[in-house]
Amino acid sequence: MAARELYDAHADRVFRLAFRLTGEEDQARELTQDAFIRAFSQLSRFRGDSALATWLYRITVTVASNRRRKHRRYERETDLSSAAHVAAGGTLQADPDLRDRMAAAIDGLPEIYRTTFVMHDVEGYTHLEIAGVLGVAEGTCKSRLFIARGMLRKVLAPFMKE
Amino acid sequence: MQEERFEPELQEAARAYHEPPPLDALTREQIWQDIEARQFDTPAPRRRPWVQPWLGIAAAIVVGIGIGRFTPLDGLLHPQPVTPRAAAAQAQPPVPSVYEPTTSHYLDQTTALLAALPTEMHAGRANQQFIGRAANLLLTTRLLLDSPAAQDVKLRGLLDDLEVVLAQIVRLQDEQNTTELDLINQALEQRDVMPRLRTAAADISAD
Repeated sequence: MAARELYDAHADRVFRLAFRLTGEEDQARELTQDAFIRAFSQLSRFRGDSALATWLYRITVTVASNRRRKHRRYERETDLSSAAHVAAGGTLQADPDLRDRMAAAIDGLPEIYRTTFVMHDVEGYTHLEIAGVLGVAEGTCKSRLFIARGMLRKVLAPFMKE
Repeated sequence: MQEERFEPELQEAARAYHEPPPLDALTREQIWQDIEARQFDTPAPRRRPWVQPWLGIAAAIVVGIGIGRFTPLDGLLHPQPVTPRAAAAQAQPPVPSVYEPTTSHYLDQTTALLAALPTEMHAGRANQQFIGRAANLLLTTRLLLDSPAAQDVKLRGLLDDLEVVLAQIVRLQDEQNTTELDLINQALEQRDVMPRLRTAAADISAD
């Protein structure tokens, strides 16, 4: 069955991306389901070429972003100051190490920067792949990554000086 | 100096962000079974009665395909010297003129529909007529994607995105909910669909 072959070929990477973006296994599983269901419903145009993978990741990112927005309505208002607050220990209790602070800082990034940063620096996608997934120019992707890294550096700078 | 020292630590810490567990065979199979249950047990889509008024546009595109297949003969029989500018134009062919009226009309209609989306949905008035317009535009999108008009790289990218968005709007008929609407708005925002639509419409009008 073609749909099953498609699933087998891409399930691992879709699930990985879904988990990176959600941080919870249950949500990652649901997101993986949603991504494939949406893909299958419009599958007729795709013949199993590389564009399909890009399209699948695009759906995954979009669904993840909407879930995130739904569960965190205040996300749109989140800015660097709130990220700094979290990373500086505002909501972390016992002796957070760099990874915890980094995770909090990434969570606090505005969505477009977080997605780009996670895909590139965390999950290892190329700028070309990310540009295809997000539907932006490669230069835009690089710019977003630059800004995201700058925000994280700024947020984590006090901690790094210790 | 701190920048140079900071970067590797940043990278290392980032790689641990939401570290996913391996997708074991059991989990993978469970996900697939859920997909099968949700996707392949659903009834076939109903035939839409409002497709008929749009058959004119569909016919125009089909006729355009026919014309397009026969018109390049002149260029083949009498080849022109290739200048750098012409070579650039060949690398990214524009929308063939025979498709311009249909494409222009389609872009205008799609712009109007997407502009009306927030009002329609916020007021809970996603009626059959609105969904019908989206479905007709979706049909036209797919016809254009399969036509020589899609040789224009920018237009093809726009059509790809519009196909996804319009398909999502059509789905609102069967499952109207805020999540789906959020998804549509996200797609429109992330892909800069509206500005690209207006640019494409202006480009074609200027030709």
